[in-house]
Amino acid sequence: MKITEQDLKNISLLSKIKIDEETSDSLIKDLESILTMVNKMDELDTSKINPLTHPIENTQTLREDIEKKDIEREKLQELSKEKDSGFYLTPKVIE
Amino acid sequence: MSELINLSLTDQILGLADKSFSSKEITEAYLNEIKKKESLNCFISVFEEESEEKALMADENIAKNKARPLEGIPIAHKDIFCIKDKKTTCGSKMLSNFISPYSSEVFSKLDTAGAITLGKTNMDEFAMGSSNETSFYGNVLNPINEKLSPGGSSGGSAAAVRANLCSFATATDTGGSIRQPASFCGVTGIKPTYGRVSRWGMIAFASSLDQAGIIAKNAKDAAIALKYMSGFDQKDSTSLNEEVKDLQKEVDTDQEHVIGIPKEVIEKIKNDQVRDSFRNAISILEKDGAKIQEINLPNIEYSLPAYYVIAPAECSANLARYDGIRFGHRSESVSSLEDLYVNSRTEGFGREVKNRIFIGTFCLSAGYYDAFYNKALKIRNLIKSDFDEAFKKVSSIAMPTCSNSSFELGSINDPVEMYEQDIYTIPANLAGLPALSIPSGTVDEMPIGLQLIGNYLEEGRILNLANKFQKLTNFHEFK
Repeated sequence: MKITEQDLKNISLLSKIKIDEETSDSLIKDLESILTMVNKMDELDTSKINPLTHPIENTQTLREDIEKKDIEREKLQELSKEKDSGFYLTPKVIE
Repeated sequence: MSELINLSLTDQILGLADKSFSSKEITEAYLNEIKKKESLNCFISVFEEESEEKALMADENIAKNKARPLEGIPIAHKDIFCIKDKKTTCGSKMLSNFISPYSSEVFSKLDTAGAITLGKTNMDEFAMGSSNETSFYGNVLNPINEKLSPGGSSGGSAAAVRANLCSFATATDTGGSIRQPASFCGVTGIKPTYGRVSRWGMIAFASSLDQAGIIAKNAKDAAIALKYMSGFDQKDSTSLNEEVKDLQKEVDTDQEHVIGIPKEVIEKIKNDQVRDSFRNAISILEKDGAKIQEINLPNIEYSLPAYYVIAPAECSANLARYDGIRFGHRSESVSSLEDLYVNSRTEGFGREVKNRIFIGTFCLSAGYYDAFYNKALKIRNLIKSDFDEAFKKVSSIAMPTCSNSSFELGSINDPVEMYEQDIYTIPANLAGLPALSIPSGTVDEMPIGLQLIGNYLEEGRILNLANKFQKLTNFHEFK
């Protein structure tokens, strides 16, 4: 399977990870080699098979609707480098 | 006191109970050994003072006859499990500054059972790797031969058990990350049924495949450790609300075993030494009374391609949370919100993690979803059905853990060649079945493992069979 420069640009945009020109050739090689291996799936006719998203048939268990305070907001926000008055700060998005 | 670190968990529990030695003595012996073998790079963090304090408390509890089941036993956690107020890096630059605000259920359960956490073990970045070479903290060395890989991603845990740096270690397995390093380091590793152990506080890679387990010196030790780690957890929506069996008891009962040998796998083993060692292991079990039956797993060869769509797809979604804003690495060179996302992620993730995010993103993108992701999920269904069919006839399935023993660090550069390391371990993850690896011989003078796969929630049965094998052989013994 061939990966084009355009494919690489799309992947980079969607995943929000920069791909620099120096590594793009070796990256294309890696991705093509992985997708060639993956294409072995085409040998199987799966037209009548249902997809299985999860290995275990398990229904969602619900707990009592009681307020819990397992996680402390301040403690969580300590992890961020930029915060103010309980808000997370990002660069300006509206001029 | 160095002989204390060579003891099995079973003997350490007995010795502490009859006061042959103290928790302080074992804990200090392990801490000394960790220092002595620092160059193996097994640990990302070591909690020296805290371990010593906890050991004193454990000795008090023992003296007052208030000992808990794992009171005073020094263990290690893979650095994928959050521990409150401790650094949890997942082997990544992205989380190199992450101090967890809460604890994983795995840690909490073992801590409540009285175990002492000596430290957190090194691992492939975000558990993506089969050699431990993708860790931001550098690779772990195989204690048996330091030029070789300990396997991955739980290489730090496997090497720490093999080098006598802890009594047992926790680990995780998404496609073989417990069993392959256990095989490479000549120790015992078990991945239980999906949902048996809570994933709460375990950093996510591929959520429908990730499962926590144990790496220990032998099957009996693994059974004890797993017993205290398992159970329903309301905080994990995929946790199984099923009774936890007494694995410690079950591992030693007299059980009959019917072992299935998958024809498609055995016929295609390329390495003669791996095939001979596998046959030898099976004949040992057969002579001991186990029934051997050939079975078919007709779609098993499609496990690897299906896995390398499903796991990267789930990984690309799970790792979208690392945006540089709330936690994790935040880039300094930023002039817009887009820059913040892109630069933080580009700087924070290593090459292999990026590769997997790219593959997952590609397979889930418009025009490719059906051809890749949906196709892989259908194959997953076929593989699960093959196992369901096989388990109507047999009580466990045996195959090699890996197609080779450990390889030289730096020797595998092709990603697909590295992915093929997990060719025999991936099927159990796709089906959510329990599976373990026990040492069963050597190839090129390095250990290799026998893999036993059980039916859903039948960890006790495969541990029983593993224990039987370990009573008949000494492949698992080391000093």
